[in-house]
Amino acid sequence: MHENKWIPTVCYQCKAECAILARVENGVVKEVKGNPLARGKMCVKGMAGITTLYSQERLKHPMKRVGERGEGKFVDIGWDEAMNIMEKKLRELIKRGEAHKFTYSMFPHSTTDPKWRFVNAVGGFISTGLPHCDSAKIMAHLHTFGCFPNHHIAPMYYTVPRGGIMILSGRHPFGCLDDACVPKHILDAKERGAKLIVIDPIFRTEAAKADWWIPIKPGGDAALFLGMASHMLKKGIHNKAFCDKWVREGDMEGLAAFLKDKTPEAMSKICEVPAKDIVKLAEMCAKAPSVSVDAFKSIMYGNAMDWGHAWSIFLVITGNLDNPGGQPMPEIAPMAAVAPAPPAPNLKELGYHRTGPNRDKFNHYNFILEPTWYAAQAVKEGNLKVFFASECNPALSEMGSGEWRKAMTMKDKKGNYLLELFVVTEILPSETMKWADLVLPDQTNFERWELLYMPWWYNFGHTAAVCQPVVKPIGESRHANRVMIDLGKRMFPEYFAFKDDVEYYDIELSGVGMSMQKVLDGGALWSPGTVGFRKYEDAGKFNTGSGKIELEWKMYKDIGQEWPSPELPLEFRRGADKYPFILVNFRTIFLNNTGAWSQNNAQLRDSVSGLDANPLLLNPIDAAKLGIASGDTVTVESSTGKVRIPVLFTEKIKPGCAGLIHGFGQTMGKVASRGKWVGDNELIADAGSHLDEQDLRGGEAHVSTRVRIVK
Amino acid sequence: MKQLSIMVDLDRCIGCKTCIVACRNHYGLVDHEKSMPGTMSHYLRVESECTGSYPDLKEDYWVVMCQHCKKPPCIRACENGAITKDVQTGIVLIDKKKCVGAKKCIEKCPYDVIQFDAPGKFAHKCSMCYDRVIHGLEPVCVEVCLADALSFGEKEILLMQADAAGKKVVKKKSTQSILYVKS
Repeated sequence: MHENKWIPTVCYQCKAECAILARVENGVVKEVKGNPLARGKMCVKGMAGITTLYSQERLKHPMKRVGERGEGKFVDIGWDEAMNIMEKKLRELIKRGEAHKFTYSMFPHSTTDPKWRFVNAVGGFISTGLPHCDSAKIMAHLHTFGCFPNHHIAPMYYTVPRGGIMILSGRHPFGCLDDACVPKHILDAKERGAKLIVIDPIFRTEAAKADWWIPIKPGGDAALFLGMASHMLKKGIHNKAFCDKWVREGDMEGLAAFLKDKTPEAMSKICEVPAKDIVKLAEMCAKAPSVSVDAFKSIMYGNAMDWGHAWSIFLVITGNLDNPGGQPMPEIAPMAAVAPAPPAPNLKELGYHRTGPNRDKFNHYNFILEPTWYAAQAVKEGNLKVFFASECNPALSEMGSGEWRKAMTMKDKKGNYLLELFVVTEILPSETMKWADLVLPDQTNFERWELLYMPWWYNFGHTAAVCQPVVKPIGESRHANRVMIDLGKRMFPEYFAFKDDVEYYDIELSGVGMSMQKVLDGGALWSPGTVGFRKYEDAGKFNTGSGKIELEWKMYKDIGQEWPSPELPLEFRRGADKYPFILVNFRTIFLNNTGAWSQNNAQLRDSVSGLDANPLLLNPIDAAKLGIASGDTVTVESSTGKVRIPVLFTEKIKPGCAGLIHGFGQTMGKVASRGKWVGDNELIADAGSHLDEQDLRGGEAHVSTRVRIVK
Repeated sequence: MKQLSIMVDLDRCIGCKTCIVACRNHYGLVDHEKSMPGTMSHYLRVESECTGSYPDLKEDYWVVMCQHCKKPPCIRACENGAITKDVQTGIVLIDKKKCVGAKKCIEKCPYDVIQFDAPGKFAHKCSMCYDRVIHGLEPVCVEVCLADALSFGEKEILLMQADAAGKKVVKKKSTQSILYVKS
């Protein structure tokens, strides 16, 4: 292959997929760094990707389960046998008329990811973590002004003007699950005179760099922003010209009436931010040339739709849509379709989406993908029979991990598993593979082809990047995309008539006058180099039903959700006597959450270069009340789970909150299984079996959890 | 004075540790196949200090590498003359061939930055990427810094740049050749 030179490709230590360069010497990757043609940054996870590539624990051969699910006992098999097992079961499912009971949990790398094509061809559904992380934000923005944002479209910080305001509300962009250039862009914006405001119950790196840290009660974001909106409308300091021109007739009057009693004083009682600070922030925002808002952990609570709605209203009344420094309204590269494309099955009619007792009540709300965390309930109810998983770790990432484990092992009267086939593709040992029937060795980004273009990429959604193999694959590993294309060729040749993945991407790139070779010749990147601002002015409308901004969500009137409630999630409003602490789970730059390839990466779990501990964080005020000493191990108990964990006192968390990093708790792999650290989802209730108010107010978000702490 | 230096901007360092892993990769300090956490050499480390009490907190992050001391105690400690301060650059260098693995430099280093390679029985540390900088390249940590918190150059020039940017030298931390600055 290539000899001792820097080769452009793409990182996949997390879903940000940054363009990088890899230095290969005698067929071995020695170094990596950000591609200077694409903003030039690569974070610590990416740098440590070489350790993932060469770890001795790499899965090298297809394996078949030999013990019971959960025992993690496997024997090596050949690829032919693995392919036959998958084909046989899927054909059987299709024959039974139950193709829709097939799901593939993945994070698509483009809107036309070949795995997604395969799932559509079968007649099943993809399921992802995306609904949980982002659905409320996406749906709120879609409902209000018809744009599709995502957590990887942080506001474009490089566009923030002097004096602009950057608000991070429960959001940690220095954690680099966006493009690795984001921290630099935020710091650069600050240097040119923008202000960074961090609203967060935890003081983290972002707060340390902020001009103002505003500790807030978890779940209080909707109240805070409604209090600001109320003050702005009352004082007439909102962007009247923008609202007059673009907001649907009658909506501003409706909003004013709704906000009348959402005064800063009233909202302060809910969010625990002083009323004078709500007023101060509102007036700062009204005067600023731009305001951007980003939220992530805060929009995973049971009032996420309300918070997304309040956030959308705030952006509108301050006129911060598709402007420099405001909320981007991204587009996607116009790639060519690979015809014929298999049609997607009807999600609303056939999807396993919305399990549980009040499924009918929530029929108002339909997201575009299945969320992974209803899978356990769907298995129990017989609505899910075949489950594939790639680049995800539902055994740890599914809320209510215990219920997930239970579902994987449940059997019918004949002693057969309810879930008939569970296939996992993985790079390094994962918790999830313990329950798999087939484990297929996947390839790292250094070994595979891929065309990446996603609307949710940080600021360049309409850009494409090519991931190219820079070294020979380890063992018999095969990229999951190629496996699904091969399976597609066996089962649905009409939809997989192209030669291979590279030809598939070639066809797509013809839409922008490119080919894989042309893009590679140009440094493995393609971009028109523009983002475009205020595109709604060119169109003369927003992409909503009325063509105007729709502040009132009339379709939710019958469930009383036409305007956003400022109330905290139900789980935070009840049970405080028994479970006095609010669990605040968060992420770090060092680990890709539950991702087995970072949890099992020695450099990322090294205390010098990564993170090797996940104690429960408590404010010393609370620790004193509980009579806990530093270093004690405590029992943390929620209404659905219980764990034992060491405690660490820190001034950096709001009293009344208990902090825990998301992603630990793996028992598979020599690196990841070290230490007595636990997964936060052991404490968080299973979404499928614990539906409550959050389904009406929270969309797909189900993290809200109260806990008690006992020595 | 001839002294090359790295300037660490505390306004920008976010403690992300990217530099640590990039440096390890460049110098081949990790056996990617077998290394376990806690066993790998490193030429940099991240430190931080949080002051105040909730909710009035301040926190700084910075990296610590060989400070390329003005009068390096490691040079005095080494009986084999394996450590020198290069006269052209002011960089403190360990000659692996002359090192006998006595570890005395490690004992005397006030910054705890010298590593020991047990299989090879030699001491090693940050060379400010001597082999790169003499060819006009930046040290690896400076090149890859996620937050552009590090800059490289002659110490006098870096001081001038800090002054022009309105940054002050954190004197307590900047007693040797590495500069720590903040607004």
